[in-house]
Amino acid sequence: MKSSHRLALLLLLPSFVFVALFSLYPIVDSFRLSFYRLILTLPWLGEKMVGWENYRDLLSDPVARQSLKTTLVFAAITIPLELLLGLAIALVLNESFRGRGLMRAIVLVPWAIPTVVSAQTWRFLFNDRYGLLNFILFGSDAARYIAPLAEPQLALVAIIVAEVWKTTPFAALILLAGLQAIPDDLYEAASVDGASPWQKFRHVTLPLIQPALLLALLFRTIDSLRVFDLVFIMTQGGPADRTNVLQFYGYKKTFAEGMIGYGSAIAVVVFLLSLVLSIFYLRLLKTNRPQGGAV
Amino acid sequence: MRLFIVLLAFLFVSDTSQSFAQQNVLHFVTWKPEAAQVWDQAIADFERDNPGVKVVREIAPQSSTQIHDLLVQKFKNRDARLDVFFMDAVWPAEFASAGWALPLDRYFATVEQEKFLPATVSANRYRGRIFGVPVFIDTGLLYYRKDLLEKYAIGPPQTWNQMFQAAKTILSREQDRQLVGFSGQFKQYEGLVCNMMEYILSNGGALWDEKRMISALDQPAALQAVRFVRDHIIGEISGRGMLAYEEPESLALFTQGRAIFHRNWPYAWAIANDPASSKVAGRVGMSPLPGFAVGTGAAALGGWQLGISRYSRNPDLAWRFVAFMTGPDVQKRIALATGRAPTRTTLYDDNEIAAKIPQLKSLLASFKRAVPRPTTPVYVPLSNIMQRYFSSVLALPDTDIKEQAALATRDMNRLLDFVRERQMP
Repeated sequence: MKSSHRLALLLLLPSFVFVALFSLYPIVDSFRLSFYRLILTLPWLGEKMVGWENYRDLLSDPVARQSLKTTLVFAAITIPLELLLGLAIALVLNESFRGRGLMRAIVLVPWAIPTVVSAQTWRFLFNDRYGLLNFILFGSDAARYIAPLAEPQLALVAIIVAEVWKTTPFAALILLAGLQAIPDDLYEAASVDGASPWQKFRHVTLPLIQPALLLALLFRTIDSLRVFDLVFIMTQGGPADRTNVLQFYGYKKTFAEGMIGYGSAIAVVVFLLSLVLSIFYLRLLKTNRPQGGAV
Repeated sequence: MRLFIVLLAFLFVSDTSQSFAQQNVLHFVTWKPEAAQVWDQAIADFERDNPGVKVVREIAPQSSTQIHDLLVQKFKNRDARLDVFFMDAVWPAEFASAGWALPLDRYFATVEQEKFLPATVSANRYRGRIFGVPVFIDTGLLYYRKDLLEKYAIGPPQTWNQMFQAAKTILSREQDRQLVGFSGQFKQYEGLVCNMMEYILSNGGALWDEKRMISALDQPAALQAVRFVRDHIIGEISGRGMLAYEEPESLALFTQGRAIFHRNWPYAWAIANDPASSKVAGRVGMSPLPGFAVGTGAAALGGWQLGISRYSRNPDLAWRFVAFMTGPDVQKRIALATGRAPTRTTLYDDNEIAAKIPQLKSLLASFKRAVPRPTTPVYVPLSNIMQRYFSSVLALPDTDIKEQAALATRDMNRLLDFVRERQMP
């Protein structure tokens, strides 16, 4: 008993070391640094403890407020879209039809492509002169071409489109797993009772995939609050700062401007934001777990 | 436990073997060069002259902003796999003050410095020491479609207004919906600051007052220049697509024959005149940038330097590489292949270069006049404030320029005050 206990610990050790090194340590250190003033380009100022100063500055920083708003808008639009589209795709893929295996693989392609590559592709698609989007919308009528990435009102929409395209397959995959865990006899029983397809969906499918939905919601929320790569490639925060999401702002502060303390404070805010939402979802997930749900 | 020790030992061994192998390896961070074969050849020549030495290149993104951020991450990690790096004209103060760039005074003697264009060397100086060797000088230049200007009997514009009028005339006569009047770089990134600075300086304004260390963006000269760009350049002859353009996109527009005027650095000359990459090869003219009045044109001094990392394990070898790559021979080869303007003054009298790039000599005057962006260790945060301001007023035509300039000025002054109060001891 004792030696198996030790073996268990030993086997856990690598993953613990990994998590501690790459997850725990950076988080704890970001917290610590967020209370310091540390500016890489002014090294003679040293590392000075300044208490809550960075957080106070953050509260009165209009750029930070704007980027918090942008981030929340981004999350509030992308997440429902991804879940709805993901559910639609999952429902289709759950039916049996010829070539289903192939379809399942194809649907996953956007998720499998590295974001840098797909972001670059979207950037070309949205180009105001050569972009496919303009060609589809207006043909060769160049006078009407639009420049989504140059318009403050459209740039975020363009990034949202790219994000939804890229991550809907992920939502679909989780929801498909949820759908497959629903036993067929429930549908058969519903048919015997004379339920319509909509009633089956409403009263059998939806309640039973709720855990999967919540799980997808959880993952997507965390991910969309820390969106970075699409912004980095497609707009660099512009135009007029309208796509400057929090994570990108924090990155600029930390790595471009060398304001380590301030950048860490931004990172901590993003972390706390997703932590609070995750705890909330996990609570929901616990209370809503129906008997027999497989996820 | 034993497995763990073995693993540890393995890590240790592999690490030492790696550092042993790195004795004669130089890591060089660069962006993607336009004439790759020239660089390949130069590096191969260096390796041939220094047997046993291997130069490993890491190709960074084209955008100045992005290569800057990549380098900062490497410095922050004290990455020893960075020996020699490309440095934009505005970074030396920052990299020097952060202690990332190695002072080169013991290598780069004053006699040698005097062989370069003075402005390019002074851009590499910070607090009396030298931190980089200029490879080529960049200044903003005006490219234009010689054929179109001749067709309508219009000379190269000397003022912004002349350029604006010329563009309008040609656009209305040509009736070509694919054609724009002017293409420049107006995306929210470092290039935006260079572009806007040229309008502001040529109107007698400045980004900030270097003597008093306060922002000058709220001054009438700067406000007026910004308004001109918003209402006449973006608003009329360029189109709003330009607000998402960096150098490559704006140059592509010009080389595809879809822009009458184009603002770019000297490297665009070779690309625009290469039939393989340009539809307008042979129909391109180049001149110094216009001003708001005749003769007030001001070009941003850009340009790229080679610096050596403080964390390099091989500074002597790194210097040999830097000296070779900035030597007259390699500079000449780069100039011939790419049209990039050399920093060594003697090359402006070189016959071969003069034959290949005839207008280079006439540009010498504007190179000597080029204005460097102000040097400060907080250039990047200042630039981010300016980028935000410029992008906002250009992209949102209803914003009040004066009000936005006041906000940017306040933010800039706060930062400048902070630095002034905490000067290096």
